[in-house]
Amino acid sequence: MRTVITWLLCSLAAAMPAAAAELHAPKDIAAGTDFAITVNGDSHGTFYLIGPATAEKRSVENGSEISVPGTDTEKAGNYQAILCSDECVSAEFYVHAAEADRLSLLVHPSRVPVATTNAISAVAIALDRFHNIVFSHAQVDFSVNSSNGSSASHAQPTNRGIAWIRLTSAAKASSTKISAAVGETTETRVVEQVASEACNLHIKSYWEANHLVVQTDPVRDCSGNNVPDGTVVSFTKTDSSGKTTVDAPIKKGIAKAEMPVVGHARISVASGVVLGNELNVGGAR
Amino acid sequence: MKRSLHLLVSVAVLFVVSGYSVAQSSPSVEFNAANAGPRAVEDLTSESVPRDYAFAWQNLSQALYENRPGLLDAYFTGFAKSSLEQRIKQQAQSGLHVRYTDHGHKLNVLFYSPNGDLMQIEDDAQLEMQILDGGKVIQSQPLHVRYMVLMTPGADRWMVRDLESTPASRSGE
Repeated sequence: MRTVITWLLCSLAAAMPAAAAELHAPKDIAAGTDFAITVNGDSHGTFYLIGPATAEKRSVENGSEISVPGTDTEKAGNYQAILCSDECVSAEFYVHAAEADRLSLLVHPSRVPVATTNAISAVAIALDRFHNIVFSHAQVDFSVNSSNGSSASHAQPTNRGIAWIRLTSAAKASSTKISAAVGETTETRVVEQVASEACNLHIKSYWEANHLVVQTDPVRDCSGNNVPDGTVVSFTKTDSSGKTTVDAPIKKGIAKAEMPVVGHARISVASGVVLGNELNVGGAR
Repeated sequence: MKRSLHLLVSVAVLFVVSGYSVAQSSPSVEFNAANAGPRAVEDLTSESVPRDYAFAWQNLSQALYENRPGLLDAYFTGFAKSSLEQRIKQQAQSGLHVRYTDHGHKLNVLFYSPNGDLMQIEDDAQLEMQILDGGKVIQSQPLHVRYMVLMTPGADRWMVRDLESTPASRSGE
């Protein structure tokens, strides 16, 4: 009789379908962290892990846990864990960024005229070591170090992973290092602050052989910085034959041009939107 | 005559087959730049960003379904591209495919950098996702996902530089 009951129970158990497994994943996982997904029920089957940079498939044997190495969850975002045997069950979980450990720093422009209000912008994006954006608040320390020795700093908290500042360029031409730091990481960019438009543009002339040579005084901006070599200065001659313009680049701080002149002529000078003085000269000698 | 007809039918079949793989249309995208700052979004940018984001999702859906990482080149760059390439590579190795049915995106600009070289956008996306192992669907569900997106201007278009779903995302809605 006892044997019959045991046999009946075993038959009944074999005939009943196995209860579907349930997956339970931790709710709060940091990127790159090892963890385990708990399985309630039969864990035998094929396990899938689908995430922002992951599409893994592997066989799993019976057990109460499925281990997930941190290398599978380095990218922050939503993940789906799926276990399929006769049927498929799934669990979702979110992987958030690890601690802020890196920075992406955008500084523009790389060359800027001196004494220009809010001309430079620096945008820092806080990243973890897997290059996920860290959306939780992090403090970014911006610092500015000029080649003439002056420096300044400003701490700015991130908002949704981003911190930014705007800067007015210095009055004196120089190269400036703009840095942003988070934790142990510092990123630096260099901005060249160059002379602005020419100021008080002035020309003089002299004869060389049969040509009139027109040249500028040293070309400087209104703050006294030398306008960079290569900046174009336009000399315009107006005489009885009409109007002629010669463009000459500044070399060693001075722009110079030779002009044949017949009769009386008027010569003017300009650089960009800046006009200089005018000369009235006589005919060729 | 019979040969011409045969050729015509072959060409028609070829069109239908190739059309099946590329027929994914770009999803609808709503764009709100009212909250953008510190820079105001220019009119032309207000047109190009949603257009390019829609193309990016069109290409992304096709790339994930057909396991073709090359489709990402046109509208993805940086970490977004490298992460998706890695996922597609793993999908191909495992014989998996992911099919998205895209019901649209609502974009809200959160940050537009002073120099106009970076835009952070929140995307409220309505999707349906099917995960296939070979030809068998192992998971199918509607998704309401909130993405944080970084876009940067390229030579002639805006590129997706980062695409990250947020904890506020919910599924099954």
